[in-house]
Amino acid sequence: MKMKKLILGAVVISSLLLMSFCGFYVSKADGTLKNKTSQVILVRDGNKNVITMYNDFKGDTKDFAMVVPVPVVLKKEDVKVVDQGVFQRLNDYSAPRLVEYWDQNPCQGYYNEDKMAPMANKSLSEVVVSGYGNVRKKETVKIEAQYLIGEYDILILSAKGSSGFKTWLNENGYKIPANAEEVLDPYIKSNLKFFVVKVNEKEKAKLANNFLRPIQIKFTSPKFMLPIRLGMANADGDQDLIVYAFTRKGRIECTNYRNANIATDKNIPLFVQKNFNAFYGNLFTTQWKKEDKNVAFLEYAWDVSPQNYYHCDPCIATAPSAQDLVQSGVWWLNGKDWSDYSDVDDEEYDNGSKNVHFTRLHFRYNRNSFAQDLMFQVTPNTETFQARYVITHPAQGDMSCDAGKKYLKELRERRKKELKELAVLTGKDMNTWQEDAMAFADEDEQKNEATQYATIIDSASKEEENHSPIGILSLTALMLGGAGLMRYKGMI
Amino acid sequence: MFLQKLFKDARYFQILFQSIFLSYGIYFLHWKAEWWLYITYFATSIITQLAFEYFLGKKEFAYSSRIAFSIPSVIISSFGLSLLLKTNDVEIAALAAFVSIASKFLVRINGKHIFNPSALGIITAIFLTGKAWFSPGQWGSGAVILFGVCCLGFIVVTRVQKLDTSLAFLGTFAALLFIRQIIYLGWPLDFFVQSISTGSLLLFSFFMITDPKTIPNHTIARVLWCMLIAVVAFYLATFKFMNGAPILVLVLAQPLVPLIDKLFKAKPFEWKPASAMNKKETRFINTVYNNLSI
Repeated sequence: MKMKKLILGAVVISSLLLMSFCGFYVSKADGTLKNKTSQVILVRDGNKNVITMYNDFKGDTKDFAMVVPVPVVLKKEDVKVVDQGVFQRLNDYSAPRLVEYWDQNPCQGYYNEDKMAPMANKSLSEVVVSGYGNVRKKETVKIEAQYLIGEYDILILSAKGSSGFKTWLNENGYKIPANAEEVLDPYIKSNLKFFVVKVNEKEKAKLANNFLRPIQIKFTSPKFMLPIRLGMANADGDQDLIVYAFTRKGRIECTNYRNANIATDKNIPLFVQKNFNAFYGNLFTTQWKKEDKNVAFLEYAWDVSPQNYYHCDPCIATAPSAQDLVQSGVWWLNGKDWSDYSDVDDEEYDNGSKNVHFTRLHFRYNRNSFAQDLMFQVTPNTETFQARYVITHPAQGDMSCDAGKKYLKELRERRKKELKELAVLTGKDMNTWQEDAMAFADEDEQKNEATQYATIIDSASKEEENHSPIGILSLTALMLGGAGLMRYKGMI
Repeated sequence: MFLQKLFKDARYFQILFQSIFLSYGIYFLHWKAEWWLYITYFATSIITQLAFEYFLGKKEFAYSSRIAFSIPSVIISSFGLSLLLKTNDVEIAALAAFVSIASKFLVRINGKHIFNPSALGIITAIFLTGKAWFSPGQWGSGAVILFGVCCLGFIVVTRVQKLDTSLAFLGTFAALLFIRQIIYLGWPLDFFVQSISTGSLLLFSFFMITDPKTIPNHTIARVLWCMLIAVVAFYLATFKFMNGAPILVLVLAQPLVPLIDKLFKAKPFEWKPASAMNKKETRFINTVYNNLSI
């Protein structure tokens, strides 16, 4: 059966992408600010790091500030704001994808022409932030640096002890989430500094848009990590984090949590295209539970160097341009080297390579399963990966010839497999999909009733009821027999 | 009987446990099974052993019996590589396996090989070629794994009577981590538990550092040597953020072993027989073991 490959637009898991982040938000009003999902771009080569943070909050965003632990005191040149659209483009490009194939009518030898389904992009929710209070200097807390970048007032603080830091925050009107305290001390003793961001109302008023742009920081440090522990302080339950990482060498991987590939290349029923978001949401949750809730899921890995033509198969959005990559902090493209980009001395040897490897990791964490911050390493692993799900459209038209009848039979079997796969992937019994299957029946290109998803679900659930436990019985008999034989031979 | 015969040589236990770990990783932790990689490790190791044994082996024993006796060690090294070393390139995999086995024949002092074969193969591939890597996070830190690895590991080392090695290393390493993470930095306890319950660390402590041929003979010297490895590995892991620090430090510390053996005289390691083994068999195994490159 010849198949025609077509691409359906990626559907961003918008429900999962209500962004938040790795620091914690300090609310001046009652702490109703919650962060659920975050997106971070990490760029790493040698000991050089660029981190770009995209924030989104839930709740009243009035009176807001953000605190991020950083390993070094950042200078003014090390901080900048970048275009928010970069996150959208990276997300669209690396998101799990749905692929469409068309069956050929065996009776006519004709098949549909390629058509490109429209891209189903969903915009990420926007960040609205306003207000901030005064900051006073206190003895136990030292203001290492202070500057204005774009619409932000930025402070780099170092503290002698967590109690002093807490007092300082309280005196300056910030409410610290109760859970944040247990990590402040370890951070301070690890010699981390605190990057405190507030909005400068005057500067913000000059901007046309009403959201805050992502903040990008860069520094040299052997530590390749993301401090998620602070971010757990003001989140409700599980938080999602999407990491877009760029390196010269290959994939990044988490070194203190298990890395797992999300299930990929699965054939799933046609009706899933109606709600791919919900499908992927279910799939992710099922896999996450299966992996004991403490893994780093790989969703995409590819060499996206501008000189490399193929970045995915199929691609679901335009590849990030060299300019997007440079915006993301990939300083080695575009003739920029680290010293142009920063005044940090370039001590490391720069091999001049223009390779860019893109890794997308998806975390879902909570305090119980994630006791430590995320530590990473750059590996030389250049193997490609993408989360890809396949739907296949049936052939249409007259099926009265022998080949056509055979095709219908095969189609039914194939769809049964697809339904089983769907149940395994989403952890939801086939019957729970009956409603979607019935709703889809009218749109199905193949009107033969026996091949309809809804019909197959009905008959499959009946078959299951008749299932006798032959497998278990025979296995038990085999084990008993084996044990008896060993006993007889005097082995046990 | 067959099972009793199996128990005479502790290496069979090690092979059994290593194969359990690999299956556990593939079937329960859903590792991507890289069959081509495992095959490369095993094939290259075995071919290298056959070739070196042919040209450089001790001629006083028949080739076939030398091979028969050394094959389990080759399998152990191959499993060691399969469990810890990853690469995209078949040449790099072959190189790692070749270095592992060849070092047993080429780098010898006083009839003892210097390097733990798989540790040297891993370090060579990671640090010299830059095209291989070690995934410390691949085991996760489930308590079940901790328990399983400890128990299985315990049996293996008691069979080869080198539990002191594991405990000296693991005890020192864990104590330093505890002091740093809990007492000094003030992290909650589960932070520390996650650090020490990684499968990679336990695998190293019970299956790699314990290799009886590449550790000092003298008990106290051996314990001190293990503690030294733990201290340096702790420093590199904590302050230099190095992954796989224990393996690197082990390889760097192994050339000290002949020197330590010279300073602290002790009887070299001997396989102690399981009760079922008679004196003649024990003597044979020890003669063979001490004279061959296994």
